[in-house]
Amino acid sequence: MTAVTAINMERKRGAASNGDAILGLIMVAPIVITMAALVFFPLIDTMWDSLHRINPMQPGTPFIGAANYTNMLTDSDLRASWINTFIYVVIAVAAETVFGVAAAALINQVKFGRRWLLAAVVLPWALPGVVNAVIWMWIYQPGAGLLNGILTTLGLPFDNHVWFNDRVSAIIAVTVVHVWRMMPLTIVIVLAAMQSIPEHLYEAARIDGAGRSKMFTSITLPLIRGAIAIAMTNATVSAFNLFDEAWVLTSSSLDTRPVLIQIYLETFQNLHFSYGMALSLVVTVVSLLVSLLYVLRVYHTTRFD
Amino acid sequence: MHQSWPFRIMIWLGVAVLLLWSLGPVYWTLVSSITPAADFSARPIHFFPQNFTLNHFERLLGINVDRIGGVEVWKQFRSALFNSVVSSLAATVFCVAIAALGGYAFTRLKFPGRRPLFIAVVATIAIPGYAVLIPLYRLMIGLHMVDTFVGITLIYISAFLPLALWLLRSVFESLPIALEEAAQLDGAGRLYILFRIVLPLAAPGLTAAAILTFLGAWGQYMVPLIFSPTQTKPLTVLIPEFATKNFIDYGLITAAGSIAIIIPALVVVFLNRYLISGLLAGSVK
Amino acid sequence: MRREIFRSMIALAAVAWALPALADDAKPLAGKSITVLLPSPQAANIAADFEKATGIHVDMQTLSWDDIRPKLVTALIAGTAPADVTEFDWSWTGQFNAAGWYMPLQDVIDKDTVADIGVAKIFTVDGNLLGVPYTNDFRVMLVNKKQFADAGITKMPTTLDELVADAKQIKAKGVVQYPIGLPLSPTEGASTSWYLLTKAFGGDLFDKDFKPLFLTPDSAGYKAMALEAQLLKDGLVDPASTGLKDSQINDSMFAKGLTSIMISGEPGRLGQMNDPAQSSVAGQVIAIVVPTASGVTRSYGLPEALGIPKVSQNQDAAIAFVKWFTTKQFQIENYANGVLPTRTSALADLNAAGKLQSGDALVAQSKVIDPLFAQGTPTWYPQFSSAVNTAINGVAKGQVTVDQAMQNIADATQKAMTQ
Repeated sequence: MTAVTAINMERKRGAASNGDAILGLIMVAPIVITMAALVFFPLIDTMWDSLHRINPMQPGTPFIGAANYTNMLTDSDLRASWINTFIYVVIAVAAETVFGVAAAALINQVKFGRRWLLAAVVLPWALPGVVNAVIWMWIYQPGAGLLNGILTTLGLPFDNHVWFNDRVSAIIAVTVVHVWRMMPLTIVIVLAAMQSIPEHLYEAARIDGAGRSKMFTSITLPLIRGAIAIAMTNATVSAFNLFDEAWVLTSSSLDTRPVLIQIYLETFQNLHFSYGMALSLVVTVVSLLVSLLYVLRVYHTTRFD
Repeated sequence: MHQSWPFRIMIWLGVAVLLLWSLGPVYWTLVSSITPAADFSARPIHFFPQNFTLNHFERLLGINVDRIGGVEVWKQFRSALFNSVVSSLAATVFCVAIAALGGYAFTRLKFPGRRPLFIAVVATIAIPGYAVLIPLYRLMIGLHMVDTFVGITLIYISAFLPLALWLLRSVFESLPIALEEAAQLDGAGRLYILFRIVLPLAAPGLTAAAILTFLGAWGQYMVPLIFSPTQTKPLTVLIPEFATKNFIDYGLITAAGSIAIIIPALVVVFLNRYLISGLLAGSVK
Repeated sequence: MRREIFRSMIALAAVAWALPALADDAKPLAGKSITVLLPSPQAANIAADFEKATGIHVDMQTLSWDDIRPKLVTALIAGTAPADVTEFDWSWTGQFNAAGWYMPLQDVIDKDTVADIGVAKIFTVDGNLLGVPYTNDFRVMLVNKKQFADAGITKMPTTLDELVADAKQIKAKGVVQYPIGLPLSPTEGASTSWYLLTKAFGGDLFDKDFKPLFLTPDSAGYKAMALEAQLLKDGLVDPASTGLKDSQINDSMFAKGLTSIMISGEPGRLGQMNDPAQSSVAGQVIAIVVPTASGVTRSYGLPEALGIPKVSQNQDAAIAFVKWFTTKQFQIENYANGVLPTRTSALADLNAAGKLQSGDALVAQSKVIDPLFAQGTPTWYPQFSSAVNTAINGVAKGQVTVDQAMQNIADATQKAMTQ
């Protein structure tokens, strides 16, 4: 490249970078405007409004400071829904992680028809949450449902058994539907990580005489730890946001009510808009904090790898 | 590695269980939708329908029954289907288009505030919809956009844009810059490079982003429950209404559910590869 | 030539004179279109008949009753009309009046109609008639007299103790497994059943200052809740009721002969229950006055009205629908579909013609109906009702004691009143 060409390129690049800057700003403008108008400002609005009393039934929106937040501490329905939510999170994340990793390991071993197997596994995730809930509502139905049908055919006394009458079985029933929908996400994430583990590591282990389970625990698991953390974070946040399944299966029943349904009821049944907004901020913060725990933990453990 | 027979059998058993778990409920719904209502409580239970009927679909699609409980069911169903398709497609097209433009800018163009803006936009993935629901609701009320296609599409776009942007940016980053530099030397403008060179190469990534957005918008429930209550009511809001309204009628419900399963199922079967690559790129936060 | 022109002009004049007569001046609003939102089920030909009569096209939408209010609220807050004519329940009058969402109708509905409809009082707040009542729902008990006879019971119960004893006998004789139909899910039907039982125990919900009257174990409300728990424990109520609404129990159990007694029975359902096309127990269902602890019957009314949101774009056509739906003629016809007329004249005609099923019981009951809230429905009713049915659901599932349940309801009421 001659000096002239080089200088020309520089000049072009210089000119281009100014033009670039303007073009760049124009190209990202739609994104920035959309997000600012529909996410950032509403978020600030939520934070500001949660310090007022806003209720379409009552005139005026007086400033009430932290009253919405202190009211939360004495709201027994809210407490019940928090407990339910935490139970959902614990069970769902545990089930999705354990079974998800197992399923991913399984699929990893399958050579023939893996694409179709994956398509089948991903299907529950691709369906709308309410369709899943309706599908399982039919399965759980006391009289004509599949679950009771199978159990009675096996000779067990579950004829017309109402699964939602007992709190434990009701919560598990709702969680099963949620896990059915979200586990594919864990499977895909973990599977991808498994597939990127170099084959020679296994070869070396085999030469050293390691059996399958030893290979799994000392090679596979440590190397997919990052993926598991990501999957668990996803699982946690989505379990905190559980709404569709509980709403369709048990509507406003208190024993299975997650915190998001509580927010919905406060906002649209009781019309306490600002209280609902304060609640939603609290839930957002809590779910982020919990997932932050994972991220930090993973960062910590992977530092030593 | 050579797999011993016991191991292979274990794998096949595992696969069978996994398939049963994933597809069993879907199969059962499809089967129920073509089983006559009288057979529903038959015991012992039959996994394969003993009798076959199209009656549920006929009633749902208004073929021989015009109204159920005084309501034109097919009309409601048809308009809900239409609403779902329109709002999901519109959201997908605009979301991917905006994300592609912006993603390319964030990747290849230098402009002030590039990094902080990107982080700010992508960070909104962590903000769940309900945290901004009510101000959005009041905003939409003020703009008279409640129960309109424009309104709901805008909300879907704001919901899926960060993920699409993240995905497309990593796709663009992984494209060799040499191609673009060569074109630049030939005097091509930025936009020309984007549309003629980069986008065609990024087609798989674009498809993945489109699928994620489409499925996400298609499956929304709480948002359209509030923002699309009547005129633009989508399928996801209609089906639970069916469930509580036409309660006895599990035939009708499973038929409606079967139809609602079709489109996501088609996407999964035919666009499997892109969906999975999209899921992967999207979850590495 | 001039004769041609003259003849044409006569012809034209004749046509011009005849045209107005040819036009549909009996249907001034023909061609308009309205949406109507009512609870399911509704008669299949309402829309078609109305269109034939007025030329106005109706897009009839129905939802399960419990799904209607959230739909109305979310649309009305947003300033859009959920429909041109909507369901307006007695329990929403407080809240909806405070929000000012519905069009006052006292100037467009004639005085005779208002006089003919006794329960219109409940929908008149501050002089504004917010809805025209179309269904006169007051509660009685519906029983399957054949199943009673099969169990050897000849006399209908007049006290609660007799009712429980009869149910036990029906179960013991193996006539049905769960003789009593009582919703226990967190839906409005569970609340209204509890209100009825409270009335049956001789008490009320609140005193005139809205202080709860159901907290002590000897109060009517407490006893009512305890009774519900006991009925479930004794196996007289289906355990699946914790997930069933009142409409579901009516349609999938009572109409199929799987239960003998509907505690909070809707008289409008008699038509449906005794129609062979709609029920398996046609001819076996009668209404009886509500058995009470004292033997002297009491009940309350929960009428539903048609209202027109102020933001409706088709108010004229909507008013036409409301008027048509509440004419004496239509009310008498619609009775066959389970909608009990609100016009006293219609009820009298039906009874005189012997067409009012269980007419004597209904007339007797209608004489002792009070409104549930003598002071008018409070604005916080929905929150109260939700607390009630959540508590009932909790008691039914054995998760709270009756004491805790009543306290929870009282606490929720307190919270609702102060917010």
